[in-house]
Amino acid sequence: MDTSNPAVFVNAELLPNFIGKKVRTVVKVNQCDGGVTAAKSTDDKDLTVNGLPQVPLLNYVEVIGIAESNHSINAEIWTDFGTTFDTNSYNQLCQLANGEFRSLFL
Amino acid sequence: MFSGSQFDATTAFSGGGFMASQSTNLSDSSPAPAKSRETQGLIPVTVKQISEASHSGDEKSNFVINGIDVNNVTLVGMMFEKTERTTDVNFVLDDGTGRIKCRRWVNESFDTKEMEEVQDGMYVRVYGHLKSFQGVKQLVAFSVRPVTNFDEISFHFIDCIHNHLHSKIKVEGITHANPSSGSSLIAPVKNASNGSQEPSSNPGYAQYSVDGLKDCDKLVIDYLQQHSDMSDERGIHVDELSRELKLPMDKIMLALKTLGDDGLVYSTIDDYHYKQA
Repeated sequence: MDTSNPAVFVNAELLPNFIGKKVRTVVKVNQCDGGVTAAKSTDDKDLTVNGLPQVPLLNYVEVIGIAESNHSINAEIWTDFGTTFDTNSYNQLCQLANGEFRSLFL
Repeated sequence: MFSGSQFDATTAFSGGGFMASQSTNLSDSSPAPAKSRETQGLIPVTVKQISEASHSGDEKSNFVINGIDVNNVTLVGMMFEKTERTTDVNFVLDDGTGRIKCRRWVNESFDTKEMEEVQDGMYVRVYGHLKSFQGVKQLVAFSVRPVTNFDEISFHFIDCIHNHLHSKIKVEGITHANPSSGSSLIAPVKNASNGSQEPSSNPGYAQYSVDGLKDCDKLVIDYLQQHSDMSDERGIHVDELSRELKLPMDKIMLALKTLGDDGLVYSTIDDYHYKQA
């Protein structure tokens, strides 16, 4: 049992609070140039993800990695979530997991 | 063996001898102790919640999460370090809040087939039984499924939050007339199952304390209090209550009956007008 290295649920709004820490988020891929991916967060802001291979455009991808700056993440693990995903629920989950119910997650 | 759709945790583990039906309500428990039937449920949890769970007693092997005895849990996370052996499959489940070791006993071909479908790096839904081995909490899994619709991940964590709120309300006997802004995003938790129960089952209610009142009762009595006009002997009409509080008439009438039985309100000129006592 090891809870020393949690990945925080973030959206674009929460990302700046966790720079340098391990985060997880779901983004919609817009563009992919080499290792740099331009994507849209669940709260409709632009994010950059480094280290993603070629993923199908407009798919939802979950990225787990270290937050590098206010709007970029260095991906360590990524999972293709397909073409449909409920961004609204995920966004609200991010807010709850960092707000009132932090203790269940971090 | 396990159909996966209708899973009955009680019969599956009835031979274990550790079923919570043997658990007794501790005498020092606070008002509204958790009913024994609640302890046999399957609770969605995060690894972080498991790590904070305490033992419910020396003899029993139950854990306590949110004040409720917990036997069986469900988690959603990513599988790592899958190790297959002849009789069992071990793996580590990482759900983002922590990592927990899991073990799945493989007795039948169904079990082997199920475990073949899941690989490292895959999101899986695990149903299992919490166990402590040499002080380390582990999970004995009885069902491991790959996640195909990834909304299940959002759902699971929201479910954990919902369950957490639900058991917090049950254990502490607190009723929220209005959900707080943080939890207003989730459908408000209602003690629907307690709707028909006598409020006097809650020991705290014996003393005249608003903590014992349910949602609707509290809303009604608050409204009557705020809008009472001592010079107006007629009181307030139930239609006004229903309209202002946006509650259906049957709930209003039930609340008024409960409050009336406890002497907090009384009817005035007819059965449709009430005043605070």
